[in-house]
Amino acid sequence: MRKVAIVGGGATRCGKREASWRDLVQEAGKNMFESVHNISPKDVDSLIVGAAEPERFVFQAHVTPMVAEYLGIMPRKVIARTELMCASGQAAIRYAWACVASGLSDVAVAFGVEKMYMPDMTEAHTNMSCVLDREWDGINALSAPPFFAITAQRHMHEFGTTEGQMAQVCVKNHHYSSMNPLAQFPKEITVQDVLKSLVVAPPLKLLDCSGITDGAAGVVLVPAEDAKKYTDTPMYLIGSGQASIGNTLNNLASLTEWVPLKMAVKEALKTADMTLSDIDIAELHDCFTISEIMEYEAFGWCEKGKGGKFIEEKQSYIGGKVAVNPRGGLLGCGHPLGATAILQAIDILQQFRGEVPQGRYVEGAEAAVTHNLSGPANVHSILVYSR
Amino acid sequence: MGKVEFDKIKRPETIKLPFMLDFYPLEDSKTTQTSQFFQNLKKGQLTTTKCKKCAQLLWPPRIVCPNCLSNEFEWVDLGTEGELYAFTEVRIGAPLGFVQDVPFCVGLVKISGLLLSSRVDNARYDQLRIGDKLQLKIVQLEDGRVFFRFARISGE
Repeated sequence: MRKVAIVGGGATRCGKREASWRDLVQEAGKNMFESVHNISPKDVDSLIVGAAEPERFVFQAHVTPMVAEYLGIMPRKVIARTELMCASGQAAIRYAWACVASGLSDVAVAFGVEKMYMPDMTEAHTNMSCVLDREWDGINALSAPPFFAITAQRHMHEFGTTEGQMAQVCVKNHHYSSMNPLAQFPKEITVQDVLKSLVVAPPLKLLDCSGITDGAAGVVLVPAEDAKKYTDTPMYLIGSGQASIGNTLNNLASLTEWVPLKMAVKEALKTADMTLSDIDIAELHDCFTISEIMEYEAFGWCEKGKGGKFIEEKQSYIGGKVAVNPRGGLLGCGHPLGATAILQAIDILQQFRGEVPQGRYVEGAEAAVTHNLSGPANVHSILVYSR
Repeated sequence: MGKVEFDKIKRPETIKLPFMLDFYPLEDSKTTQTSQFFQNLKKGQLTTTKCKKCAQLLWPPRIVCPNCLSNEFEWVDLGTEGELYAFTEVRIGAPLGFVQDVPFCVGLVKISGLLLSSRVDNARYDQLRIGDKLQLKIVQLEDGRVFFRFARISGE
């Protein structure tokens, strides 16, 4: 296997955009190509597009050739779309990585895009209701908020986690997103703001939930040996872990302990030849505030059940035990499904390059993880990056 | 220069609920090989498949056992009383077809060693507690299809 580097990336601003799916693709593509020297669209031999539900959100299938056409790419090695719901973008990076690592591809683009704002948002909510097994779980209107509400309720019941602790996750991530020009919600909030926001599905309030978001992003992957042709500051993809257990809610390993995440963490660190203490930055999948709390636990930064305490002690701020979501997370930046993992990767690249604002800069960071969960948290995907 | 014509075109104002937006599964023997599940529901019985070879109780119902690949099953009655394991109430963001029901409770219900997701009827969020006993109920759509829910036992 060849070692693989990411040599550049570009994205759109995220949020409720006055832009079509096709506009988002072009905007991110332009920014991506302009971020890398000596690579033009015609050099790209492989294109993988992470897109979760374009059939539902924009009534369009077969989307990767469309992205290729808009970006002027003519793939001649690998062209494919990846769908792994909220981790669709990470799936795209993983496929592009495998293409380059195997020697099949020399310049691969992993791209992600989602247009989620629709004229009638009930339709968007409907789209999010066929993620869980539609005939057995989706049928009970279990889209993401009710599912994570149930998870949060159980975590509170078993471990004494509080709504105030969950709110503090959102406060931290908005603190960092206030310094991120790409973020959907670039402003500071307080614990009271979270607690007083509209109840979506108790115990979750609106600000416990990441946004519905339009956005796109892409990164360019090349063999590490070629990386310096394109940039002085490449980032290396040095490890990965991914695991899945069960799918219907009856068959999950546990509601309150994410066993597949623990498996993915172990595998990611092993393949990167690292220990947890080597990780300086963690971009974790905070689709809901409870998710980040459970991720502290599953990664092993704190004991099982002590995730609430961990944020309360500000251990996940820059300067704490580990800097979690200095990008602003999904809570602060939004969650354009297919683009999310790509946005995480680009921010790590900018962290390593020292291109982020001082207030959210993790000085001297050498290694980082990005994590995405998907479905009823039965699937967990992790990538490890190094400077 | 030719004159450019402006014309109005018509589309139907309403359409029949399309299958791709219908949460309820097709359930007769022409559309699924687990139609027995729905036939049993129509008799008031919540059942699932148990593998005859390895004895594993499987939810959701199957035609092939993922444990031993056997395709021989028996239908097992799960009973009518469940225990509430966790729950919430959908207040915002319900999908098409369920919007008219808001607010409504959903939960995970322990029954016969399984953990089934279900609507929890006859209850608002504040009336429910983890561990509550719940009663099986069957709901029927206007076209005759059925599905199961659980309901809070009034007075508890």
